[in-house]
Amino acid sequence: MKLELGNFHVKDMIFGDKTAYCNGILTINKEEALAVVREDESITEADLVIVKPGDKVRLVPVKEAIEPRHRIGGGPLFPGVTGDLQQAGNGKTLALKGCSVLVVGKHWGGFQDGLIDMSGEGAKYTYYSQLKNLVLVADTDEDFEKNEQQKKNRALRWAGMRLAEYVGACVAELQPEETETYELAAVTKRTEEENKLPNVVIVLQPQSQMEELGYNDLCYGWDCNRMVPTFMHPNEVLDGAMISGSFMPCSSKWSTYDFQNFPMIKRLYQEHGKTINFLGVIMSNLNVALEQKQRAAQFVAQMAKSLGADAAIVAEEGYGNPDADFIACIVALEDAGVKTVGLTNECTGRDGASQPLVTLDEKADAIVSCGNVSDLIKLPPMETVIGELQALARDGLSGGWDNDAVLGPSVKEDGSIIMENNAMFCGDQVVGWSTKTMKEF
Amino acid sequence: MKKAILYLNQFFGQIGGEELADHAPEIREGLVGPAMELDKQLGEDVKVTHTIICGDNFMGSNQEEAINTIIGFLEDKEFDIFFAGPAFRAGRYGSACGNICKAVKDKFKVPVISSMNDENPGVEMFKKEVYIFKGGASAAAMRKDVKAMAAFGLKLLKGEDLLPAEEEGYFGRGVRSQVWLNPPVNATDRVIDMLLKKVHGKPFVSELPIPKADLVPIAPALTAEELSNIEVAIVTSGGIVPVGNPDRIQSASATKWGKYDISQLDDLVKGEYMTIHAGFDPAAANNDSDVIVPLDALRAYEKEGKIGGVYKYFYSTVGTGTTQAEAARMGKEIAAELVEAGVKAVILTST
Repeated sequence: MKLELGNFHVKDMIFGDKTAYCNGILTINKEEALAVVREDESITEADLVIVKPGDKVRLVPVKEAIEPRHRIGGGPLFPGVTGDLQQAGNGKTLALKGCSVLVVGKHWGGFQDGLIDMSGEGAKYTYYSQLKNLVLVADTDEDFEKNEQQKKNRALRWAGMRLAEYVGACVAELQPEETETYELAAVTKRTEEENKLPNVVIVLQPQSQMEELGYNDLCYGWDCNRMVPTFMHPNEVLDGAMISGSFMPCSSKWSTYDFQNFPMIKRLYQEHGKTINFLGVIMSNLNVALEQKQRAAQFVAQMAKSLGADAAIVAEEGYGNPDADFIACIVALEDAGVKTVGLTNECTGRDGASQPLVTLDEKADAIVSCGNVSDLIKLPPMETVIGELQALARDGLSGGWDNDAVLGPSVKEDGSIIMENNAMFCGDQVVGWSTKTMKEF
Repeated sequence: MKKAILYLNQFFGQIGGEELADHAPEIREGLVGPAMELDKQLGEDVKVTHTIICGDNFMGSNQEEAINTIIGFLEDKEFDIFFAGPAFRAGRYGSACGNICKAVKDKFKVPVISSMNDENPGVEMFKKEVYIFKGGASAAAMRKDVKAMAAFGLKLLKGEDLLPAEEEGYFGRGVRSQVWLNPPVNATDRVIDMLLKKVHGKPFVSELPIPKADLVPIAPALTAEELSNIEVAIVTSGGIVPVGNPDRIQSASATKWGKYDISQLDDLVKGEYMTIHAGFDPAAANNDSDVIVPLDALRAYEKEGKIGGVYKYFYSTVGTGTTQAEAARMGKEIAAELVEAGVKAVILTST
């Protein structure tokens, strides 16, 4: 399978008469773009805003991030989700780099939503402060979940994906400025040099904790809660086979943008043929019942072993209950003789003294840790808020609260905030960007 | 000008050696022994105003009295930070430094700093509550150890950013927090580095160290016949004590255990027994402590002849926040008593 990602490096993003890309400038026709958003009648209010690094802007509740792209030869960017099923990861896809489509609730947030500061002290907590962002701020008539802590955010998330397809289409006829090529021969058809290197798989554990459909990550449109681990080509992940869900506390979440750009997968490609033989992706999940966890770990270990993996990386999208899957999977792999490195974040509590993962095992002796979901963060007021600041306190965001006996509400009268890292939008960057680690004090 | 106070034992307080280890606590204005070096290292902005001296044996055998006396000394003093030691490898001194630091921190909410050698048992007992710097084995390291304590004390007083324990030089307090790597290194590079080292059998360091499980195999099962002839003892980490908590077992991070005579009892009744455990809702256990120490059920078994009897004491401590090291020490002490008494079967209840 061979994927060519043709890149256009967006240096600036503006509104204008025609949606077009020229010399690094991405111009958006706002009305036309909003018409794409409004194709879904559930959307009751919608606006578009452009925010850039350094802007004195706070975004909350942020629900999703997507990289604008275009699939050459037609077909949906997200097969099985925004259109019919087709094979992802083989062919050419064009991507607008350095920018994203962000989806922000005009009023209502939930457990899974997060916050982004585009400048100041808060900017370092999230990857998305470094990007030029086309922000969809919208509300819907999904009243059944308006006051629910858990929201599917379906209309808004799908609007974001349509918008990313619409924006991406403007480069359809253009020659990319740079092309990244991702190609792996079939597992049994590798070169002699490749075969001499340690064989490595990456095991991804996307979020799938909700029994009810509509909240979990999707694999080609299929709810990850309803699958057993399966072998995938890494190109499929990089090319829209996976979309983010709407469940996990936000700093632990992997956005759709994160899946499209999965840094750990790209890094394994870089090492492929040099230090390792990259076999591919075992796509697992994070279901809640013990038997499901055991079943998933068993499938993963068997698959790794049958593929001849010498080593594995296991990455989890979540913390708490999913830690049991994470550790069980590492233990199963180690027991099968596969040397494994874990990639995760931790929850050590506001005082930092809690056990970092819900379960531990001595066999998990190699872990890269990307942050603490419960670190407390205080940030000053921001000039402009896009969305609704009160959502952080009012709507049960995983890192916000409406009142705390000691700390008071998350949102203060002057617009300053106190929150847990939990609510930083995809903040722990377990997909691989994180330059954070955990240290003992 | 900020103010500091230093705690020393009788030896470093220049009272005398082991023969004077019963020396009762005293406080002196100004600098005694290592206080001079500490004062010098703290520089112009911080002054050591008083030195407290207490014999190691006095603190060991009359801990509560010693602590209360010292807290009394401090009540009318103004101070911003409290130091104790360095205690090097001296076990009783280390334990005394830890005890007094913890008490001062709890009472006056000021930073407390000590220094001990890694073999000093005081480290394991108090590292969670006190900044204990990694000190030398003997007084030869005095200047270096005092310097480390002073430098960190200054950082705390100035409100400077604190580095992780390893970099500052104190024993980690079990507090894990996120930090940005400087220079930045992506998680992807860290994973690859660790993976290649692990695959090639080279040493690597996990970013999430997992404490070694120190498991003791459970003893082989007894037959019903054996059981009908022996006494069964009860040991609990559920904090059941006679009302009033006569041994003053801590409600969390316990370092003490107690044993209570139940030879004349058939039931732990409300108002006479309770739990002092701070890690769960105590309502049920306070209403009927048998839910944690099942004396009533064991008496019934005794009458039925299923067990030979109930050992005359039950043993109790608190399991919440208690370090593994402390729990193991207490477990060994209790086990030694039970073995000495010839007890062959123990029911261990937790909460």
